[in-house]
Amino acid sequence: MASNLAVAIVNGIVWGLIMALIALGLNLIFGLLHIINMAHGALYMLGAVAAWYFIELTGNYWLALAAAPILVGGIGLALERGLLRTIEDKPLVTIICTFGIMLALQQLVLMYFGGTARRIALPVAARFPLFDLQYPAMRVIIAAISVVVMGGLWLFLNKTRYGLWMRGVVQDREMAVALGIPVHKVYMWTFVLGSFLAAFSGVLAAPIVSVDFMMGREILIMAFIIVIVGGLGTLWGSVVTAVMISLIQGVGSIFVVPSTATVFSLGFMILVLLVRPQGLLRAPCSRTRERGPGSSWRSAASSRRWPRSPSSRTFSTRPS
Amino acid sequence: MTEILVWVLFAISFDLIFGYTGLLSFGQALFFGLGGYAVAIPILKLGAGTGTGLLLSVLIPALFAVIVGYFSVKLSGIHFVIITIIFALIGSTLGETWAWLTGGADGLVFTAPPIELGFFQLDPADIKSTYYLVLTVTALSYLFLSRLVRSPLGKVFVAIRENEERARLIGYDVQFHKLLSFVIAGGLSGLAGGLYTVALKYASATFLHWSISGHAVVYAIVGGGGTLIGPVLGAGLIMSLEHYLVNLLQATDLVVGAVLVSMLLFAPRGIIGILQGRRK
Repeated sequence: MASNLAVAIVNGIVWGLIMALIALGLNLIFGLLHIINMAHGALYMLGAVAAWYFIELTGNYWLALAAAPILVGGIGLALERGLLRTIEDKPLVTIICTFGIMLALQQLVLMYFGGTARRIALPVAARFPLFDLQYPAMRVIIAAISVVVMGGLWLFLNKTRYGLWMRGVVQDREMAVALGIPVHKVYMWTFVLGSFLAAFSGVLAAPIVSVDFMMGREILIMAFIIVIVGGLGTLWGSVVTAVMISLIQGVGSIFVVPSTATVFSLGFMILVLLVRPQGLLRAPCSRTRERGPGSSWRSAASSRRWPRSPSSRTFSTRPS
Repeated sequence: MTEILVWVLFAISFDLIFGYTGLLSFGQALFFGLGGYAVAIPILKLGAGTGTGLLLSVLIPALFAVIVGYFSVKLSGIHFVIITIIFALIGSTLGETWAWLTGGADGLVFTAPPIELGFFQLDPADIKSTYYLVLTVTALSYLFLSRLVRSPLGKVFVAIRENEERARLIGYDVQFHKLLSFVIAGGLSGLAGGLYTVALKYASATFLHWSISGHAVVYAIVGGGGTLIGPVLGAGLIMSLEHYLVNLLQATDLVVGAVLVSMLLFAPRGIIGILQGRRK
């Protein structure tokens, strides 16, 4: 029992950290572009599939981990430039458009990769004892890599000029334009970064789960749940929620049937949506485009996605 | 052909909620699947007739639509999209789990008893009469919807789509009207699911999956949202495209996705929009 529980907890944390990377990409794209990216799961799947091909070619997992996300990032670049650019200001249209992209990507992979699931061998075969069970060390390495990437993302957002621009655009788009930030370029690189993160977590997940063309579907929904519960636009919330949810599901499925655990977590999610649509870890005012004009100006001043200086409030262009 | 008609019905019911009321619901699959079970389970377990089953396939999904809608219409925009996906997801998870009732992913296979309509008999086992049954029901639903959207009630739906705030200020109960539109669309989606099940003699938990709703979204968008004839055209066109393509290459979804994306980019008002634009 104790060993089962320990394995469930460690598994939950490992999987939660992978999910957190996926959700971070989704959330980043939403926070900046206001696009609900239905193709995010497909990009994750694409990352894993690309990794499989790289491994077939070179036999090196670490090379694939570096190359596949860059490839998918390039695809993201093409998608944003070619397709999403013209409809960026219509949230509902972008949902449907990315849904179409998802269908197309899945089918492309089905055509070339085939419908059968394939496995990627663990690049680090070592195991270590966890109570009386042998636990694969690779999973812990995967978790560590996720943490490093998240740290890198944090540094990028907080310490680099591009990160500063991104935060600026999130806070106030008009102001950012007025200050000379190349907003469209920021949009583009954010989408690329989101695609990169999705693919990266796809490669990380590949040795744990099997690789097939449908693997992105359920993941997409889980990522949505995480982003919503954690709060749209709240990056930190996504990480916490991802680990929390996968812990609950992992530990919960020791005691009840896994599908019951899923239904419960979905029910919980509906509750969150109804009671706190802005997410659990966020100030009670949310800034969503669909909100009435009354609530949006107020929240623009009081909600903080990322830290902002009080002076920026004085210069806000929004009517109050 | 029968299949196309079923999807036409599904697409126009979705268009009522998306094209007219302006709510993007990915949860229609829940009602579609429920409609299927509302036909299959009474016939299989209770020995009910096909007619009763079809009646139930409207009522039961509509009832569920009241429950789901009650919660969903409190949210708007992106949150609404997501909550409808979640409800559909709960439905499909339960559908797969409760295999004793639903047959799980393998589904339920049944034979539909003939419908007695006074002087003549409709036997669902016969492909032709199934076709006429589906044709009649779809045509009646189309007439019902076209009457509905031209009625004062339909105008309120459009008003909500155009400007929710203003509709509220004029004095309409926005939530109630959204719910009403959601329930009507849910009932009709259920009917589509019921007919589909009667035509295929098969109901399955896979019908409950939220991506099924994607079909309706695609048809409505490609054909032209906010019109009734649009989704009909869209469903007809895409379905026939799929039927031809399936022989040429396996990648129907690829083409469907590509068509969807290019329609959104170049003709956001769909085929109808293109036709109208040319006339001007």
